[in-house]
Amino acid sequence: MFYSPVEILAAFDLSFIWDYRDELWDAFKATMKAAAVGVVGSFAIGLVFGAIRAHRIPVLNQLVWAYVELIRNTPILVQILFLYFGLPRLGYIVDTFTVAWLAITIWGGAFNTENFRAGFEAVPARLREAGYALGFTPLKTFLNVTLPIGGRIALPSSINTYISVLKNTSLLTAIGYAELTNVATNIQAITFKTFEMFAVLAAIYLTIVWSLSALIRLLEARLALPERL
Amino acid sequence: MNPLPEWFRPIAEYILREGVPQTLKMAAIAVTASVVVGIVLGTLITIRFLPLQALIRLYIEVWRGLPILVTVLFIYWLPAYHIGSHEIRLNAYASAALGLSLWGSAQVAEAARGAVQSIPREQHEAAAALGFGWVGRHRHVIVPQALRRLLPPMVGLLVNIIQNTSIAFVIGVSETLETANRQFENVSSGVAGPTAPDYAVFLIFGFVLAIFFAISFPLTRLAGYLERRLV
Repeated sequence: MFYSPVEILAAFDLSFIWDYRDELWDAFKATMKAAAVGVVGSFAIGLVFGAIRAHRIPVLNQLVWAYVELIRNTPILVQILFLYFGLPRLGYIVDTFTVAWLAITIWGGAFNTENFRAGFEAVPARLREAGYALGFTPLKTFLNVTLPIGGRIALPSSINTYISVLKNTSLLTAIGYAELTNVATNIQAITFKTFEMFAVLAAIYLTIVWSLSALIRLLEARLALPERL
Repeated sequence: MNPLPEWFRPIAEYILREGVPQTLKMAAIAVTASVVVGIVLGTLITIRFLPLQALIRLYIEVWRGLPILVTVLFIYWLPAYHIGSHEIRLNAYASAALGLSLWGSAQVAEAARGAVQSIPREQHEAAAALGFGWVGRHRHVIVPQALRRLLPPMVGLLVNIIQNTSIAFVIGVSETLETANRQFENVSSGVAGPTAPDYAVFLIFGFVLAIFFAISFPLTRLAGYLERRLV
């Protein structure tokens, strides 16, 4: 089968997508489900581990550092396969969804730890000292001073991490998790409608990614700190 | 004394001999293409000519916005077609290298735009006063200065591209992860001699993690060092 670019444009036909609307809708939900768990999980990990790193809590600080460096310096696809093949050998029989959200949460958590660490460290020490001077305990100081200010500083970069978490769900096709890329691959294999399938897949991903990028710009303007620290 | 079990030796040798060179070669191709194309696009987008800016902006946002795997799969799915009498069809290796290059060049273009725009106006004016045209001004004065600021993010990009070459595993390219997975399938099915112990999976995939870590960690460190030194 040989096509010229003109023939391809002439033959462009999206109607077949309508026949696969149920499959694609399920795939979209699968992608969003894994991404949602991944985002919530990496937010929680980033917040706690970022605070541990920023406050240099002994032992935990080093452990979190090792976790972050291990995850950031190895490919997420290898981590996914490691969990997928490894967990059953440890006696945990899990479905692909569990491996899916676990893998992207572990990955997102490591990157988000760095975002929150940087955010918390950007809060000047004198603000924390002011908290202590008011009689706040270290925990209260963190919750009332460091978190609201540092969290705001960390927010744009952490949304960038959530965008990456969402894009990384596409790699879950390697373990057969029926998300968008996986289902699109199957549809393309049956129909050979390469351009139409790619156009639809790209449109879905770009809509989500570009919306989140726009949200970052919006939040950066809205949450900008009123004065220099 | 060899601390690794006997059955693991040939596996490790196979991964290091077959997989790792493919990974590094693909990373070298993608990084070179990304840097060359990215710096050209990142410099051109600073010209105040709206259609050109819009076109490059679209290129950047599309290839940065898509998951790399989606780009790679699309290129890999493309049917063969003719341009004149040439038949064009990319194999899995070329598809992955091209997909990575599209993503990488978009990343570089965005970083290069920032670096080029950060060079003060006076540099443009001084170069123009010396008689340089637009091309000479950028070729000899502006871009060389911007390159210095680009160095730390470029090392970061190198790390990202090395790690992302593992995406080629999905379309069956014999890179590090694929060779490891092949060996794992062999030993767990027992086709290539006695079946390996249960912990084989941790040793084999742990070995892959260790290879990538050994390459990436020093580079990440270098990027951090350059950032502190050069900025």
